[in-house]
Amino acid sequence: MEKTYWRSLEELEDPKALRIREAREESKQKSLLYKKDEGDTGNSRRDFLKTLGFSLAATALISGCERPVNKAIPYLIKPEEITPGQASYYASSYFDAGDYGSVVVKVRDGRPIKIEGNELSSVSRQGTCARIQASILNLYDGARYKGPQQRSNTIKWHDADLEIVKTLDQLKQQNGRVVLLTQTVISPSARQIIEQFLAARPGTEWVQYDAVSASGMLNANVKSFGMRAIPDYRIDKASVLVSFGADFLGTWLSPVEYTRRYTDARRLDEGQRKMLRHYQFEAAMSLSGSNADVRFPVKPSEEGGIVLSLYNEIAKAKGAERLNGVMPKVDVTALAGELLENQGKSLVISGSNDENIQMLVNGINQLLGNYGQTILWESALQTKKGTDQEMQSLVADALAGKIDGLLIWGVNPVYDYPEGEKLEAAIRKMKLSVSFAERQDETARACEYILPEPNYLESWNDLEPRTGFYSLAQPTVSKLFDSRNVEESLMAWSGKQGSWADYIRNRWKTEFFTRQSEYTDPMLFWNYTLQKGVFEPGTNSSGAVWEPSGLAAAAAALEDAQTGAEVVLYESIAIGNGKYANNPWLQELPDPIAKISWDNYASVPVAFAKEHGLDNEHVITVNGIELPVFVQPGQAEGTIAVALGYGREYAGNVGNGVGINLFQQVSAKNGNRRYYLTNARLEPVEGKTYPLALSQTHHSMEGRPIVRETNLDEYLLKPEAGNEMHEEFEKKHVTLYPEKEFPAHHWGMAIDLNSCTGCGNCAIACQAENNIQVIGKEQVRNRRIMHWIRVDRYYSGDIANPDVSFQPVMCQHCDNAPCENVCPVAATPHSSEGLNQMAYNRCVGTKYCINNCPYRVRRFNWFKYVDNDRFDYNANNDLGRMVLNPDVTVRSRGVVEKCSMCVQRIQEKKQTAKLEGRMIGEGEIKTACQQSCPGNAIVFGDLNNPESRISKLFKDKRNYHLLEELHTLPSVGYLTKVRNKA
Amino acid sequence: MYNLKIRGRHIIGDKSLGQISGDIIAPIDAKTPLWWSAALVVSLGLFGWGIYSMYITVTQGIGTWGVNNTVGWGWAIINFVWWIGIGHAGTAFSIFLLILRQTWRTAINRAAEAMTVVAVGCAALFPLLHMGRPWLFFFIFPYPNTRGPLWVNFNSPLFWDFVAISAYLLISASFWYFGMVPDFATIRDTTKSKVKKAVYGFFSFGWTGSSREWLRFEALSFVLGGIAAVLVVSVHSIVSTDFAVSVEPGWHTTIFPPYFVVGAIFSGFAMVLTLVTLMRKLYKMESFITDSHVDAVCRVLIFISLIMGTAYLTEIFMAWYSGSTYEMYTFFKNRIFGEYAFQFWAMFICNAIIPQLFWFKTVRSRLWIVFIISILINIGMWFERFNIVITSLSHNYIPANWAEYSPTIIEIGLFVGTLGMFSAGVLLFFRYIPMIAISEVKSVAKYDKEQDLTRSLSHETSEKSKTQAQH
Amino acid sequence: MNRYMVGVFNDEFGLVKAFDQVKAGGNKIDEVFTPYPIHDVIVKMGRRTRISHAAFFYGIFGAASLLGFMYYASVISWPLNFGGKPTNAFPSFLVVSIVGTILIITILTLLTFSIRAKIFPGKAAVIIDPRATNDKFILVIDSNAPGFQPEKVEQVLKENGASEVYIHENPHAKL
Repeated sequence: MEKTYWRSLEELEDPKALRIREAREESKQKSLLYKKDEGDTGNSRRDFLKTLGFSLAATALISGCERPVNKAIPYLIKPEEITPGQASYYASSYFDAGDYGSVVVKVRDGRPIKIEGNELSSVSRQGTCARIQASILNLYDGARYKGPQQRSNTIKWHDADLEIVKTLDQLKQQNGRVVLLTQTVISPSARQIIEQFLAARPGTEWVQYDAVSASGMLNANVKSFGMRAIPDYRIDKASVLVSFGADFLGTWLSPVEYTRRYTDARRLDEGQRKMLRHYQFEAAMSLSGSNADVRFPVKPSEEGGIVLSLYNEIAKAKGAERLNGVMPKVDVTALAGELLENQGKSLVISGSNDENIQMLVNGINQLLGNYGQTILWESALQTKKGTDQEMQSLVADALAGKIDGLLIWGVNPVYDYPEGEKLEAAIRKMKLSVSFAERQDETARACEYILPEPNYLESWNDLEPRTGFYSLAQPTVSKLFDSRNVEESLMAWSGKQGSWADYIRNRWKTEFFTRQSEYTDPMLFWNYTLQKGVFEPGTNSSGAVWEPSGLAAAAAALEDAQTGAEVVLYESIAIGNGKYANNPWLQELPDPIAKISWDNYASVPVAFAKEHGLDNEHVITVNGIELPVFVQPGQAEGTIAVALGYGREYAGNVGNGVGINLFQQVSAKNGNRRYYLTNARLEPVEGKTYPLALSQTHHSMEGRPIVRETNLDEYLLKPEAGNEMHEEFEKKHVTLYPEKEFPAHHWGMAIDLNSCTGCGNCAIACQAENNIQVIGKEQVRNRRIMHWIRVDRYYSGDIANPDVSFQPVMCQHCDNAPCENVCPVAATPHSSEGLNQMAYNRCVGTKYCINNCPYRVRRFNWFKYVDNDRFDYNANNDLGRMVLNPDVTVRSRGVVEKCSMCVQRIQEKKQTAKLEGRMIGEGEIKTACQQSCPGNAIVFGDLNNPESRISKLFKDKRNYHLLEELHTLPSVGYLTKVRNKA
Repeated sequence: MYNLKIRGRHIIGDKSLGQISGDIIAPIDAKTPLWWSAALVVSLGLFGWGIYSMYITVTQGIGTWGVNNTVGWGWAIINFVWWIGIGHAGTAFSIFLLILRQTWRTAINRAAEAMTVVAVGCAALFPLLHMGRPWLFFFIFPYPNTRGPLWVNFNSPLFWDFVAISAYLLISASFWYFGMVPDFATIRDTTKSKVKKAVYGFFSFGWTGSSREWLRFEALSFVLGGIAAVLVVSVHSIVSTDFAVSVEPGWHTTIFPPYFVVGAIFSGFAMVLTLVTLMRKLYKMESFITDSHVDAVCRVLIFISLIMGTAYLTEIFMAWYSGSTYEMYTFFKNRIFGEYAFQFWAMFICNAIIPQLFWFKTVRSRLWIVFIISILINIGMWFERFNIVITSLSHNYIPANWAEYSPTIIEIGLFVGTLGMFSAGVLLFFRYIPMIAISEVKSVAKYDKEQDLTRSLSHETSEKSKTQAQH
Repeated sequence: MNRYMVGVFNDEFGLVKAFDQVKAGGNKIDEVFTPYPIHDVIVKMGRRTRISHAAFFYGIFGAASLLGFMYYASVISWPLNFGGKPTNAFPSFLVVSIVGTILIITILTLLTFSIRAKIFPGKAAVIIDPRATNDKFILVIDSNAPGFQPEKVEQVLKENGASEVYIHENPHAKL
């Protein structure tokens, strides 16, 4: 069936054939659509979605592109749920490389075009991260495998099954070792199927492998609690948070979830008086570190000592025995004191993969009585299960030729495991090597069989990110390519019949149905759960028991602080572990801290740079590897930091050769991979430079009142602290001529600088919603990035350990907009609802408005970015253009564009409200950036409605307008940033 | 009225009217000199580069320039303002001096006006090219259309600009042309060549020199002169509003209109000086473009340069006095002592300091020094526009946006191209058009005679005129 | 067939003197051709022009129509909100009306000029004496007039330094 659909894509040229096939499909789906499907019968939804595919064939390729519509193929029978031109939304779930998000997929005319956060999920709580937002583009990635292949010859699924089963049987007779290598599998049904597969084929092993693993933590938790899991960190319940190198806002374990909890614990916009205080010990300036109230730059190898001394300080106070071990480099008595004052309300976490450190951290939390309060075992996190020891032995065996068959699913060890090329050779030698890779990767290249799995937007799934917290994924589009779910393959090879979809549905109707009482009919339960996307019965018993023994051993095993230079290897916010390096949106998203896109680079401390006369774009060698230099304030002395996930060789034409791969450097230390290098050799390369795509080059606010901030104590004394000048300007508010009235609506936006962590999710959300084009490294470097919303980052204070402020800036929709006055052709006037509008087809591109915008939020189409081989990204091919949002014009060369406050969303909601004959509800309209903001920092609404949240925030004493002294009267307000320094 | 005591004679050597027209028309009848052809080839070569750059710009987009989302305007606008400034010479010369009854203008105004027309032509190229979609430039006309009510934005300085420039081009061109009509007639009636007779006959619009024609001719030139005088002031004031009306630090200032107008006249006069000195050398026009002419222009330049200096200092003072951090940053951190210090000081020295050398007669009387200084002034004026356009944009309100700007080869090509276009235009003017207004020179020649006749000349001035005669 | 007596002078001074005396002699002077304008002669010819008045009215017309158009366009026909400014942004309109007015004046005045002075592209010049555009000052006297005494007039011309005097037969009806 999938094949049928795909051919229809090619047969666009032949509408007759298409219409015939469509008619057939339509009648079929009609017969299925209304059928009560009981278990084994044909599953209506899948077929129905297949027919969705036809509307896709008809409209998708054409809509969005600038070409005129050649062929619009009408429905013979219109499916009930589809109204052309109206979006439908399906709840689904994303899980990959450790990122989990419960999402709602916006499907327009058969094409999924946007990922939204699902507010019903208590895990991701409407938030997403940049990678989840950008995942929509992965669906339309040209680097996806188009069908099953054997040694790069296409092969039929049926034949593949026969051959593979044959080989498996042979290996069984020869007692050969077959290993199923997967990333962490959080799907209960998938786990079950894997178990069945292993049972059906004795001797087969299953290894879970995470490129960036939490192995040390898992081991530590086994020793301390007998649990191979990660507890649930309730940051929102804590009042003091101490993080040892854990970038929980950026990349650590479950950042989306943690971000929301963190900002909840720090918001002051509803008169809260209390606020979480955040300490961060880290080497590289991470997103979390940049948000910390108190940040200690320390070398990674010094962490053990500090953790130990912290433990001892607390132990002393609690009368527990003190442990001997390495000496600390930092005095933590004060910190210990504060933690002791907040017992049960504090939280200590560590990003280290050293199980000894993790055990001591557990010890500290135990002493502070945080378990059961801020750390819960009931809802343990399941997203990282891989243990490095298993992987290590597997690779060792593979290299030794002791592995005969390898089935690889969702991981890419050839790229992200040391000695990858050896592993590749070994895989090539194996009797059986199967990759289920969805898209090109280095490991798949080495495998004999490539049996591509569908994108998550094309397939069913059920997920369990936390014990007791489930969510469902459903297909939102018929499969674009000839792919098959891995679960189905495994079922087939373990001699089972039936489809993966049936399997999930049956399991849910039987097993999960019993775990709830809300619905009495399994069918209802299934349908409603599918609609909501989440099912969260939770658990009440954890079974975790504290086991203090082994702490002493752990303390003793701690290694001493190293003297040599150390290199921190971290996941970058955008690229993560590099699995989606072929996604141009992610590649172009500037790093929140360095503001660099399209590369990884060596962040060096300022002092180090001075000492060696280094500057940005110079080059140094790290253990012989050449890397471009970025001078990073706050980088700990004696350390540098380099992002992982770059340097893919076989990712696709976008991701190939972007940056340098450092996974090969990651070595294992007592069993667990250690994501930093000690005693590294750093040598500046004289006279050599390497261009970096920086999108912000000046880092000081020059004492201008741009990001206004204060400290909690001052804020509690007077709420307008740090924002006194706002009063002044309001007093001086005079005008020569009467100000315009906005009788109906007056749209406004408020941004809480206290809740913005600078993660950059909004930029990608906006990019997906508004068809913002990718322009590539060279143009970004020319300071021509197209993002409509950018996050400015400023440093203040001590350059060795600066305070960091983030500020998202988009069009401020000024009521006295300077840009509007100067446009000669009236291409950007002001709407009656206070929006600053752009008439693209009227714009002749004088760029005067760009010059006259004090916020510099206007973007110019310097080139033709669509359908231009010079910019060979998603907009240069039909497949990639399927992601375009038909509600938003694709801008031509030579016109100015900018944030429209998602006017298309405003209009849509206004129309619905009008049709239903009611007023627009408060909070009904959500802009793209606001909808999925994990920190919930953005509020959009009607300033004319005194009850609306926005009006309240605009009255808040913390509210101010950017450059309000210019009297541009922006419709965007910012709430002052409040730090919580001791 | 006109006083030889101060100004010296208009024309050196007691030329009869016949000689006057003869001498001036001579280059047109003479066969093309080699240097002329060479120069024309070079100019056209440069122009060719410009054409290529235009082609690239229009086909690929202004992404081929160095401008970016922070610095939206670059060399294109700098050159535009620069050329417009130069284009003010002609009108300023003819009109102001006409109104001030400065008869010594007659030897120079023709060249100045020719220069104006070519320069404004060069200038007009840039606003067109710097558009993102130049093929839609007509959107700027408020023409009736079927797109529902759709007019232009009359608040936009760019629209004012557009009207001002087109008006200026048309008026200066017609003023120039009608000034030439009687001279064309002279050529028609004196030349031997049949072709020239026909061609110039056509362009002379059937001029005969009758009193009826002269009467209306004078009236016309006074009307045009009168309104064009307003234009000289208004055009560059309007160009200045492109900047003054915006909110950019360093742009948003009320001094701009007068400051721009004076600057324009300054650069215009400097360019006139450059041109006239060349003309005088190349075509042996010493007897018409006398030292006293050069001297007069130099004196004017001293005065204007003083105004420029004052304007610069006023700007800086106001920046400080305003107390606005943004203004102060632009002027002190960015221009005077910042990374654009070179451009700032180049401007200041070339425009405010160096011209002060003209106080010394020795400098004024040495043509090659005058020539060099006139070139320096033009360079200085270019840097002034660079200062205004680039420094304000690159470091404006929000530091996160700060970006540098450097031109690409394409932008440089465009500028060089217009230089080529300009010199080519001027060369053609030298070759085919009487480079001095014959009839006007004749009309003033009589003053020399009159005053020779009346023995009102005191001795030292007769000495003076003699010495000048020897030059 | 018109016959004219033509007096050729080498400088304007002679011409002016001769002009007065010939006129005093009761002769009709048809036209004077000079290389450059000579004001007293123009005055004495009794010619007057109203081009400048015309220009003034063109100006009034231009300014009024421009302001009117801009008001219509931006207030009545298509009121838009530009940066919160009033739709009738009069000060802005002034700028354009000044320059635009000048443009209109120029165009119309040029037209008037070439119509009234009969100066337009491709016109064939009616040349009495080609030297008039170079270095000679030509006095043309109607010799068809009754009581015209050629000798007397010729003498007057000669006395005032006419370099030559001759009779010109003009095929055209009138100058």
